[in-house]
Amino acid sequence: MSFSRLSILLHWVMAALIIVMLFVGLVMAHDSTIHYAGLFTLHRTVGFLLLLLVVIRLINRFASHTPPLPNDLPAVMKLAAHLSHILLYGFMIALPLVGWAMLSAGGYPITLWGGCHIPPLIGFHPHLWGALRCLHSLLAYGLILLILAHIGAALLHGIIRRDGVMGSMLRR
Amino acid sequence: MAHSPRKGSPARWAAVILPPLCLGGLMAWTAGMFSPAAISPSHFMQRFHNAGAPDTGFRRAHAKGMCATGWFDPSPEGRVLSRSGVFKGEHLPVMGRFSLAPPMPYLPDNPAVARSLALQIRSATGDDWRMALVDVPLQPMRDIADAYAFFGAARLDPTTHKTDPAASQAYAAQRPWLKTAFEQVKAHKQSSDLTNDTYNSLDSFILTNDAGKQVAVRWSVVAKEDFSPAEGSGTNDGNYLFKRLVQTLDQKPLSWDIVATVAREGDPVNDPSQPWNEADQKVTVGTVTFTKAYSEDESPCGPMVFDPTILPDGISVSGDPLLALRSSIYMRSYATRSAEHKTPSMVTPGDVANPPLTSDEKGQ
Repeated sequence: MSFSRLSILLHWVMAALIIVMLFVGLVMAHDSTIHYAGLFTLHRTVGFLLLLLVVIRLINRFASHTPPLPNDLPAVMKLAAHLSHILLYGFMIALPLVGWAMLSAGGYPITLWGGCHIPPLIGFHPHLWGALRCLHSLLAYGLILLILAHIGAALLHGIIRRDGVMGSMLRR
Repeated sequence: MAHSPRKGSPARWAAVILPPLCLGGLMAWTAGMFSPAAISPSHFMQRFHNAGAPDTGFRRAHAKGMCATGWFDPSPEGRVLSRSGVFKGEHLPVMGRFSLAPPMPYLPDNPAVARSLALQIRSATGDDWRMALVDVPLQPMRDIADAYAFFGAARLDPTTHKTDPAASQAYAAQRPWLKTAFEQVKAHKQSSDLTNDTYNSLDSFILTNDAGKQVAVRWSVVAKEDFSPAEGSGTNDGNYLFKRLVQTLDQKPLSWDIVATVAREGDPVNDPSQPWNEADQKVTVGTVTFTKAYSEDESPCGPMVFDPTILPDGISVSGDPLLALRSSIYMRSYATRSAEHKTPSMVTPGDVANPPLTSDEKGQ
């Protein structure tokens, strides 16, 4: 039993984009680079794209068939799997929304690659800007940990248990 | 497959654990966790702190300031250089912030310090043009490494609260490429007031017009008031510069021309420490007129970030490394200060409502 073609495509496209976003974000926050403006534009653009993709993915999740976890999987691992997937979705939705809200609160214009303007999500609230900027980082670090655990869990299924769970996201 | 590793062998476990560990390690490395010597925005914040910036809600540089509002009226010449909506001919609202350049928010006004002007010009169609200008003629730093060393040399001695002249001399001596910049900064004649001062972008920008033609420019915001040289305030008022600006605005609007110096072949576009050719074409793209002053504690310009890389279509950043640095540092400073409890600004709403100069203990 595998995921649908669309589910597999969405998973891998978003996975690649999210990894790129995390690295770009880390460079922006922790390095002083002459490429800051370009990276910032890339980060806003891909962030907005990811927000659109996660909406499509969420609809697809409910509209398409999700292969069941193996019957012999211990209940604790089943619970961890479901919980981590809910958290991954939550972080994938929250990160771009918080990013959009924080730039709006800070009075930053939200211009995408190519010059397209996105309207602010909320008004100019400088006090919120600081808090949302901090939340954006915390969510990003949380997502990093979730992704590392997710990769580890997938490899555990694929290499140790060899129960077909990893294969369900690799091939149709 | 007799020789294949068994389920659960060390090799298989390594294949499970190593990929996420490597990815996590690469991310930690990107975040600078293994290279503490790299120059990060947090390192800059620390240097501003050591140079006198308190953690009480003020921006980390250009800390003492006051706001003004008014209008921008573009000239037809601006439209020839840039397709930006701000030059389309409409009368646009402007928010400005006059400030002293140092990181100390309670610095008494005095003729020795550099001054700055920040502007935000917005159009009804969403154009947002922010400028951060200083009244020195050239930037005494050419790149991120220079900037980091510069703010390191600005460190205040924890006991005397004064900078170490040897540190700034060493900074200049180790950088022969900044010789011209220091000479020009030294030769710069300070004006008597904020009202008759001229403020410069130092960094360069690229303008694109309707035909797609691009030119590099540096901005100067040139006072229409006559220049007169700086002396003391004549009184012992620590806010004399700001109060005299308020007094003048109470009587009449004050205007500055926004002048683009257009680079010619050979002008060092990406190095703000080097002068351009004296004969470069100068184009007045519009006029900013201020009509009213506010304390920054009662105006959105107080918290506002004047990031000079926030630009409308038709104006873009050059490859000047200090523009990128300013954007990232301003963002960090803005996030840090907006989460702090802010103490009142030195130029209070009372000073703006009642500007006559008084002798106060804030004066030098």
